Amino acid sequence: MERIITRFVAALRESGIRISPGETLDAVQALALAKMEGRKASRLLLRLTLIKNVNDIPTFNEVFNCFFNRFQCVEPDADLPALMDAAINDMDGEFTYLNEHRDDDHEEPGPLIKLDSEISPEDLAELKSLAEIDPDDSDGTEIVMQMKGYRGKAKKPPRPTRRYTQNPLTIELNKSNSYGHRVTFTPEEQAAMQDVVSKMMLRLRKDMRRMKTNQNRGKLHVMKTIQKNYRHDMVPFQVILRRKRREKPRLVVLCDVSFSVSHASRFMLLLLHTLHNQLLDVRSFIYNRDLAEITEMLANMPVNDLMETIDHGDIVDLDENSSFGQVFLKFKKDYLENLRGRPAFIILGDARNNYDEANDWVLDEIREKARYMLWLTPEDRETWSRGDCLMDIYGSYCDKVEVVKTVDDLSLVVEDLLRDIYADQAHPIDRKLLREAKAAEAKSYDSSDYYRRGTNNDSEPVFDPEGRKHW
Amino acid sequence: MITQQAVSDFLNAGGYIADEAIATAVFLAIRMEKPILIEGPPGVGKTGLAKALSAALDFPLVRLQCYEGIDEGKALYDWEYGKQLLYTQLLRTQLDNYISVSADLREAVDRLSAEESLFFSKNFLVQRPILRSFLSEKRSLLLIDEIDRSDDEFEALLLECLSDFQISIPELGVIEAKRKPLVILTSNGTRMISDALRRRCLYLYIGYPELEREVAIVRVRFPELCEDLARQMVEFLRKARELNLRKPPSISETLDWAHVLTILKATELTPEVVASTVGVISKHQTDLQKVTELAEQELAS
Repeated sequence: MERIITRFVAALRESGIRISPGETLDAVQALALAKMEGRKASRLLLRLTLIKNVNDIPTFNEVFNCFFNRFQCVEPDADLPALMDAAINDMDGEFTYLNEHRDDDHEEPGPLIKLDSEISPEDLAELKSLAEIDPDDSDGTEIVMQMKGYRGKAKKPPRPTRRYTQNPLTIELNKSNSYGHRVTFTPEEQAAMQDVVSKMMLRLRKDMRRMKTNQNRGKLHVMKTIQKNYRHDMVPFQVILRRKRREKPRLVVLCDVSFSVSHASRFMLLLLHTLHNQLLDVRSFIYNRDLAEITEMLANMPVNDLMETIDHGDIVDLDENSSFGQVFLKFKKDYLENLRGRPAFIILGDARNNYDEANDWVLDEIREKARYMLWLTPEDRETWSRGDCLMDIYGSYCDKVEVVKTVDDLSLVVEDLLRDIYADQAHPIDRKLLREAKAAEAKSYDSSDYYRRGTNNDSEPVFDPEGRKHW
Repeated sequence: MITQQAVSDFLNAGGYIADEAIATAVFLAIRMEKPILIEGPPGVGKTGLAKALSAALDFPLVRLQCYEGIDEGKALYDWEYGKQLLYTQLLRTQLDNYISVSADLREAVDRLSAEESLFFSKNFLVQRPILRSFLSEKRSLLLIDEIDRSDDEFEALLLECLSDFQISIPELGVIEAKRKPLVILTSNGTRMISDALRRRCLYLYIGYPELEREVAIVRVRFPELCEDLARQMVEFLRKARELNLRKPPSISETLDWAHVLTILKATELTPEVVASTVGVISKHQTDLQKVTELAEQELAS
């Protein structure tokens, strides 16, 4: 029996569930303690001992059904419907989930799909024929090629530092083309985003907490100090200080939703939406040739609905060519005056202006109002001055320009930004220390001539992957 | 010798209708002496299971409610500073005599430090819930409620207690549990519990119960409510749970509602009855509206 269990555990591990040897031992012990009473009971036992997360339970059920179906036919007392189930499972491996809810999983958590339990073989055949519509028939691959050419990638060999074959965003782009025009997020994508955000929160939280305790260096909180030190016979061993009130950092985000960068900006919006309540006070705008604020909608609408609305062009017209100059003018006219506080400013876009007026002087005015300016672009450094791309001009107004291609990149950039913002609000002593540390780090890399490099003379801009993290 | 069936039976006798998964988990926890980690939406009877178990098994219930910032001083043990100070004050004359015998300062300090253990003994130890349940003469039931509210550090602190049933106190050494308590941890899943803690526990997910079980629960708690009404009520609530409410009604709401209906002596569920008692089942303003609309649709005939 131990062998069966270890093989079952191996099968579970293959499906991505983490199970330690200790848990395997528990399972064996549990099976020995409770007498084996049929399939349902042993499944319960295995689930209790091996699975430690709700999200893993559906996977467990699937693996359990697949794994133990092989042994079902040898049991003499197996009933006929069960055997038929097994046969169907053997024929169509991908339909195991159809049978799953027929037996005893009524108590299973998670979204239950209500299915007609009477499924005839004809229905199955029909379902199968549905799956045969191959995504390759559509013209998805062609578009992908174009995208890559557009990114200026076709001519150059892949650089080892950027693994863009495993690059999620590119993969997403491929996917979205093969399904026709898919704009909403799948539950998996949302879960992945939740995952990225929760990891980020975890990293941030520790630093935040340390800064918070340091920020407590306010006045003495007399009442609390007395209360706390009552046990020490009023000798103030522990001093409680008043906490200073602090506002949430403000952020203004401009996202390009034109076709060329739409997917990146969608993820940006989703990321900010997820962060909005926890850490930040975000004002979000989207633009193409026109500019519109979507802060309220982000807060009140389900994300997928909002994405659809954006994609139908109801908020800004998507058929126009994007023009950064126009957008900046509009921003100055309508919004610049009523920006509160000194927000950090993030612009996401490829800076391809379609040969319109640059209007880069607006950025100078925004700069005066903003605490910090960050530009995120999906394009590589070497294409920044090619064609209609004005990245070099716009970039010279920003504190920082980052190349962002994947969700992970995005989360790292936002995390850095949050750190900077929080560090800015830290106690003067902390701020000084942080600044010194940063200066020491930056000393090895002189970034002052960064935007002039490669543009004065005809030489290609020098790119060293090592230096990238210092920008 | 205890069996799964016995567990299920004595829980039923105590008014807690357990399904097979719950009974098996409890059985294994008792036999394997491992903690159970229970997750599930609020109000499905996670804490209720612990209370029912403690009553049925006659284990004294020791409850530790977690909150943000809970630490070992609140959960494991603490030194009673006040008492220590009081004793040193009271014993001052004795101490003077005791030390005055010594020839020089060094000897006095030596003599005093030889008696140090006197002030860091069990006399001055405040037993907090975990230590209390470990030192209990009778096997106890330790309920660590809403572990997801505590910090990561506290979770790490629990690891030693839960895997080895011992507590290390620097001044006293390692204290082992006299009788290993039955430990139940509950979580509402507002935060991911670390894998290290999960690994040390049996994992039980309690979701919303099936129709029959929920009807049985209502019938056990409120026998005066007639069977038809109970069934109608539960069926209605099951539909309400699919409405995508902000706070879907769980078993505790079912029971509250049943209680209200018995007080009102209702015999049948009508839209009017639902409208007048809707505050019991939904706790958000937007939900109220959805539930009343559902009642109009479903119960109009």
